[in-house]
Amino acid sequence: MTFASFASVGPLLPHDLFAASGRYAGSLCWTLGRPMPFAAQWMENRFAPWAASILEDWAAGAFDAHEAVVFARADDNAQRLYYYVCELRRRGVIAGGPEPLVFDSAQGPRASSLARTTQAVRGLAERLGVDDAALEAGIVATNSARPMLAAQPATSPTCLLIGTPPPDRALHDAIERQGWHADGAALADTWRDPGAAVDESTGDPGGAIARQIHTSVIGNRAFADRAAALRARLTATGAKAAVLWYSEDEEAEVWHLPDLRRVLDAAGVPALALTRRLWGPDPDAADRIGTFLKEIGT
Amino acid sequence: MSTETGPKETGQRSRKMLASTAAANAYQKQFGLDLKRRVVDDGEPFAIVQADTPHELFHAMDVPIITNQWWSAYISAKQLSGRYFEVMAAHGYPENACKYCSLGLACTLANDPASAPWGGLPKPAVLVARMTCDCIQHVFGQWAEALGTEFFPMEAPAWEHKDPRWFAHSRDQWQDVYDVDRIALMVAEMRDLIALLEKRTGKRFDEAKFQHLMEQINVQEGHIWQAAQAIGTARPCPVSIAEQMPNTMIPQWHRGSDWAVAHAKRFRDEVFERIDAGLGASTNEKIRLMWIGAGVWHDPGFYQALEETLGAVFVWSMYMPFAGPQYIRDLQGRPMEALASRICGMNEVLHLPPWMNGWMVSEAERCGIDAAVMLMPPDNRLSQSGNKITARSLEDAGVPVLVIDADMVDAKTWDHDTMVAMVRNFLSERGLA
Repeated sequence: MTFASFASVGPLLPHDLFAASGRYAGSLCWTLGRPMPFAAQWMENRFAPWAASILEDWAAGAFDAHEAVVFARADDNAQRLYYYVCELRRRGVIAGGPEPLVFDSAQGPRASSLARTTQAVRGLAERLGVDDAALEAGIVATNSARPMLAAQPATSPTCLLIGTPPPDRALHDAIERQGWHADGAALADTWRDPGAAVDESTGDPGGAIARQIHTSVIGNRAFADRAAALRARLTATGAKAAVLWYSEDEEAEVWHLPDLRRVLDAAGVPALALTRRLWGPDPDAADRIGTFLKEIGT
Repeated sequence: MSTETGPKETGQRSRKMLASTAAANAYQKQFGLDLKRRVVDDGEPFAIVQADTPHELFHAMDVPIITNQWWSAYISAKQLSGRYFEVMAAHGYPENACKYCSLGLACTLANDPASAPWGGLPKPAVLVARMTCDCIQHVFGQWAEALGTEFFPMEAPAWEHKDPRWFAHSRDQWQDVYDVDRIALMVAEMRDLIALLEKRTGKRFDEAKFQHLMEQINVQEGHIWQAAQAIGTARPCPVSIAEQMPNTMIPQWHRGSDWAVAHAKRFRDEVFERIDAGLGASTNEKIRLMWIGAGVWHDPGFYQALEETLGAVFVWSMYMPFAGPQYIRDLQGRPMEALASRICGMNEVLHLPPWMNGWMVSEAERCGIDAAVMLMPPDNRLSQSGNKITARSLEDAGVPVLVIDADMVDAKTWDHDTMVAMVRNFLSERGLA
C-alpha cells in the first residue's frame, strides 16, 4: 500500500526519499499556549508541549487529510508519541486518521547501526512505493535544493542561538530587534533540514541516504562533538555573542551546556544562558536577551 | 536498586520477616566488599553498565560490573545525593537534568575521594548503556570522558510489533514478540562488545560457559516466577514487596551464579512455607496494593507503613513478576539470540504502551489488586512514560490509581509522613479504607 499524502514528525528523516515519493506534505504543525484537554489525559508533563499539541490535533481529526505520518526515532518525544498514537488508535480512543509509521534511524558509531538505518530507509521506501530509480532522482533533486536552504550571509553582527531548537522565532526576533543577526535553527527548521548532501550515482541510493543519516550531526542522538561544532560555527559566522536557550523538558543537548560555555569563554564570546525555559510566550527571555545584547552593543 | 536499609534522610527502615532477606542482604554486603577489593584494591578491569544491558556477557567472562542504578542507589543510601546534585549545579548543569542516570557522573566530577563511596571509582575498561532515552548517551559519554575510558552505546531500536499480551508469549515465541531484526541488531552489538571486552580485559568469552549460564538463569528465574505466582494467589500475601525486591534483585545482579540459583530456590521455598502456615506480611490484610515505578530506596519503610493500621499491603512491584516474562527464555539452541530478546525490550515493556499497560492490567488481575500507587518522577520522561495510559487502563479495569509526584533517588522531594498520609487519604476517598 502506498499513501496518497503523508507527513512527518521530528528531525533526521530521509528527505531525499520523501522528495522521491512526490507525496510528502511536510511536517505536522503545532500550536502552543492553548488548552489541550485530550493530550493532558494521556501524556505526561515531561513531554515537549509540541508533542501534546500534535496529539490533541490528531485526536480532533486535524491531520485526517494525510494517509500516513512518519515519526522519527531520532527524537525521544517523537518516538514516544508514535507509541502513544498507536495505542490510542488500538484502544479506539483515536478513531481513524493517518497511519502512524516510525523511521528507525540508528546513529551508534558502529557498522550494525548503519545497517539498521539502511534497513529502515529501504523499508520505508517500500512502504511509500519508491523504487531505486525514483530514489536516485530524489537524491539528485534534493541535493540541488540543499544550497538554497543554506543560511544567507549576515549583514549585521551575528548572535548564535544554541541549545533546544525553540518552537517559534520569538527568540530570533528578540535578537534581531537589537540590531543583531540571529543564527540558529528553530524547531521547524530542524524538522525540515535535509542534512548534508547525499552521495549520488552509487548504485545503492538507499545505502547512500542511510550513510548520510547515520553520520548526521542533526538531532539529540547524533554522536557529534558539540564543542568542535561550535568552534567551527564561531569561525564560520564570526559570531560576537551567543544565547544558549534550553527548554524545561530538554534532556539531551543540555548536557553539553558546560562544555559550550567553556568554548565561548575561550573564544571571548559573551554568552547568556537561559535554562529550564517554558515553551510558548517568554517575555522574560526576550527582555534578558535585549538587556544582554544592549550591554554588548553592536 | 540498593537493598541497604539503614537510616535515611527522610525515610524509615523496612521490617524484615524472612531469613532469605537477611541472607541476601548479607551476601550483597560481602559482594560489595569483594567488588571493591577487585576493582579498587586489586585494579581488576571492570565495566560500568546500565541495568538494562546484557550483564550475562560480563558474568560469563568473569568481568566485574558496577551497575549505574546500583551505584546511584548506593550513593543515595550514603546520603550523598544532595551533595552531588550541588556538584552538578556547580559544574553548570541545570538542576532539572536527569538525576537517576547522572549521580555516578556527579560522583566522578566531584572528585572527592574522602567523601565518595569507595573513594570514588577507578578507570573502568568500558561503560555500556542502551540508548533508551535521549539523555543516556550524553551522560555516559561525558562520564566515560571524565574517567578517561570508552563508552559503548547500544541501540534501543523502534519496535513495530506491538503485542499487548507479550508476556504470554515471550518465553517461547521471543523472536516474534521482540522482532527478529531487533534481536539480530542486538546480537551484532553483543558480538562487538565481546570483542572489545576480550581486548580490554585479556579474558576470553566461552560459548559453553555462556550456554550454561543462560540455562542456570532460567532455573533461577523459574524459582522466582513460581514464588511470584504463589504470592499472586495466596491470601494473605506472605511477603511484602519490601522483601520481594531484595530477594529478586540481589540474585538478579548475580544471575546464573550458583549462589543466585540457590538463593532463588531458598526464597521460593520460604514463600511456600509461609503460605502453607497461613502467615502474611500483615496480620490484618484487607487491601492489596500495587506499586508502579522504581523502588523508593531512601524510604523502604513506606511500603509497610499502612499494613497494620489499615491492612493495606503492597503485594506487587514490577521486579519480582518481571522474572517470568522478561527473563525466562526457551534457548532453542540460540542462547545469544535468546539473551538479546531478554535485553532488547527490557526497558520498553516497562515504560511504553501497549506493553506496560497490557502487562500491568494483567498482573493486577492475577494478583487480586485493589488499588495501585504510581510514582511519577518529575524530571524524567522515560520514567514517566506510559504512566497515564497505564493508570487509565487500570482504572478501566476497576483498579483505582494514586499518582505520586516524587523522585526515586532524590530524598528532597519525599516526606515519609506526607506520602503515607496521601496513600491513606486516597484509600479512604476511593472507599477502600
